Amino acid sequence: MHDTLMHPPAPRPPRARPARFPATSVPRSFARATIFCLALAALAAPTSATEPGRGGTLVVAGGAGLRHLNPAVQSGAHTGLGVQLFAGLVRVDDGFRPRPYLAERWEISGDGLSYAFHLVPDARFHDGTPITAEDVAFSLAVVKEHHPFGIAMFDAVERVDTPDPHTAVIRLSRPHPALMQSLVPLLMPVIPKHVFGDGRDPKTHPMNAAPVGSGPFRFKEWARGRHVILERNEDFFIEGRPFLDRIVVKFFNLPSVRMLALEKGEVDYYPFAGVRFRDVASIADNPDLRVSTGGYEALGPVNYVEFNLRKPPFDDLRVRRAVAYAIDQDFLVNTLHGGLPRPGYGPLHHSSPFHADGLNRYAVDLERAATLLDEAGYEPDADGVRLRVVLDYPPFHADSLGTGANYIKSQLKKVGVAVRLRAPADLPSWAQRIGSWDYQFTMNSHWTYPDPVIGVHRIYLCGNIRKTIWSNTQGYCNERVDALLGEAGSTLDVARRKALYGEFQRIVSEELPLYFINEEPYVTVSHRTVMDPPETVWGAMQPLDRLWLDR
Amino acid sequence: MTPRAPGPVRQTWGMVLRNGSAVSGLALLASVLAMTLIVPAFYPADPFDIVWRPLAPPGEAPALPLGSDFLGRDVLAGIVHGGRATLAVGASAAAICVIIGIAVGAAAGFYGGLVDGGLMRIAEFFQVLPALLFAMTLVSLFGPDFVTIATAIGVVSWPPIARLTRAEFLRIRELDYVRASRAVGASDRRLIWRVILPNALPPLIVAATLTVGAAILFEAGLAFLGLGDPNAMSWGLMIGANRDFALEAWWTVTLPGLAIFLTVLGVSLVGDGLTDALDPKRHDR
Repeated sequence: MHDTLMHPPAPRPPRARPARFPATSVPRSFARATIFCLALAALAAPTSATEPGRGGTLVVAGGAGLRHLNPAVQSGAHTGLGVQLFAGLVRVDDGFRPRPYLAERWEISGDGLSYAFHLVPDARFHDGTPITAEDVAFSLAVVKEHHPFGIAMFDAVERVDTPDPHTAVIRLSRPHPALMQSLVPLLMPVIPKHVFGDGRDPKTHPMNAAPVGSGPFRFKEWARGRHVILERNEDFFIEGRPFLDRIVVKFFNLPSVRMLALEKGEVDYYPFAGVRFRDVASIADNPDLRVSTGGYEALGPVNYVEFNLRKPPFDDLRVRRAVAYAIDQDFLVNTLHGGLPRPGYGPLHHSSPFHADGLNRYAVDLERAATLLDEAGYEPDADGVRLRVVLDYPPFHADSLGTGANYIKSQLKKVGVAVRLRAPADLPSWAQRIGSWDYQFTMNSHWTYPDPVIGVHRIYLCGNIRKTIWSNTQGYCNERVDALLGEAGSTLDVARRKALYGEFQRIVSEELPLYFINEEPYVTVSHRTVMDPPETVWGAMQPLDRLWLDR
Repeated sequence: MTPRAPGPVRQTWGMVLRNGSAVSGLALLASVLAMTLIVPAFYPADPFDIVWRPLAPPGEAPALPLGSDFLGRDVLAGIVHGGRATLAVGASAAAICVIIGIAVGAAAGFYGGLVDGGLMRIAEFFQVLPALLFAMTLVSLFGPDFVTIATAIGVVSWPPIARLTRAEFLRIRELDYVRASRAVGASDRRLIWRVILPNALPPLIVAATLTVGAAILFEAGLAFLGLGDPNAMSWGLMIGANRDFALEAWWTVTLPGLAIFLTVLGVSLVGDGLTDALDPKRHDR
């Protein structure tokens, strides 16, 4: 079933086929499917009754667009592969709780300003060099300087002390609640100082394309535009792991081709699957495939309408509220999208521990929308048109954002707002337009990441009103919000943080710099022989050392 | 005075009406035009309004005899109102194409020499570019709106018209009546517009007619690839927007496809009929 000429799978003794996982198969009914998927998010990683078997090649479907394999200096969907190559100090479980990884244990000082990590003593890089505290200190410095979220994650880090080769002590200038979440392999991969510390720019380092790593798989081959091959790290510091012999990532340009390859059995595992919401049920009907929406909580993708607050008409809160009242989220999510996505009501993803309930939901009310527009001074003209506006939308998340834009156009017409849709030529031209503030309102989406400090603050802080996409492009500035986020970002008291973020979410849902329409449901499709696929919060963006093949 | 023979227009008209394919083409076109220009007044539903659940089959809702599309919009409203944009893009693109083509072809054929050489190299440059890819690039660069799409189609399709015009001009400019006009001192402008062009028109009219059909198909192709104007409902846009749902909801793409097919068929039949009618060698038949 694989490309056997290139990668002969290791012969394995026949094994009885285990029962299908109830947790990862999706029943026919959409509603039940949704409930199942959401339940998944809350459950622990599924454990199998069958003993994991060693060996085999996992073929993963990927999209073209991979630039290099070093997550220390880039972020985004194309970075995930680096997690197989590099270990991090910790990983997190399904409840965002840190678990030992390269650090076998750690101590946090009483004032929260000093974290001592004790590394696994005999861990080695793929070239045999021992992994030491020096490498940890070096990696953190590289990430802080070169990663897009480097400042958000490690601004509070004063220095990293290395009292002995297996102890790294991170010293902070102020309490930093997002520190542990920032030490997972995707965000802070431990990279070898003796390779990347040769004085060359880490962003363009030639070894980024063929790295010497520290993780469960080592780099073997990258045929650009075709595939990447990773091989089992025989010397991995967790005894007996990983189970797989090899991971092959095959690149396909079109999502439909990836899906076909999966159905033909040429591909086993397809995270971030480019399938339409309506197709999820029919994929679940295929007995060879499993569909899941679990495992993306740490990314927490939220979709929203972003208003340019600098110019009329959306500088007026009444107009923004009119838009919110004109949109029927129930219709959007349940009728148009078949019930797969969750509606979104606020800036935090529902899976975030700081998510607040009871935010203003702006239940659809066309009369109220019309009244608000009247109050704002937008009276209907002879044709019944109050206002003519242009709505941009990006080319990604097409079901949520493209279809959503068409729906909003139809709804706003009912309250006298004539919307012209501006279709995107491509992602860069849309990002350029929004990033240069040259728009009225746009569909948009961002990842909230496991801690709001990393993924959410950037969208709202007055100091982050920048001409870059996925910063505070809407031009929102509220001193109270700045103060709330500032305090929530520098206290370790979870209850206090929850209260602060609660007020922040209420203010945002009242002032509507962004109006949230839904949470993007990412989908993983895998072959039934793929066992124990990662379902914790980082999903496919965590090490696949526990995944095994039942064939 | 002897009784005058019927004028050329009436003569042609007579020939067209005696031509079976032309008559059926005209009938098709007339019904398409009627549907596009008159029926919307009796069926004023906005094709962009979401009125029902998505992908409802024809007949599910009494108000939606042709069902709903992937957003829950009325397919019948799309068919009825989408014709206007489709035909407008087709006609505008053909007009742009014909204007560029005749201007270039006439200048090249009339002046010859360096002008001819230069213009024909430009035409060849456009001819060797893959038309669809070139049009896609233009639409992607300037954004999918009505003007860009019509211009892009016109800009990539003019070389055949230019070459045809040039060939006619090369032939006609050496004929005796042109020499005679030149001898009595007619200006270049007069020679081009009043003497040669009218005599070169018959094949150009046929070519222009067929260009309209080709432009409609072209617009549908661009829309299918996602490069339709999202603010102007057209048959191509309907197909493009619903193409992912073709297998589960045939009516969302088949019906607009049928409308395009009938329109282009009508245009082609009329074009064929005109070819026969305007062919001087066939006047005796």
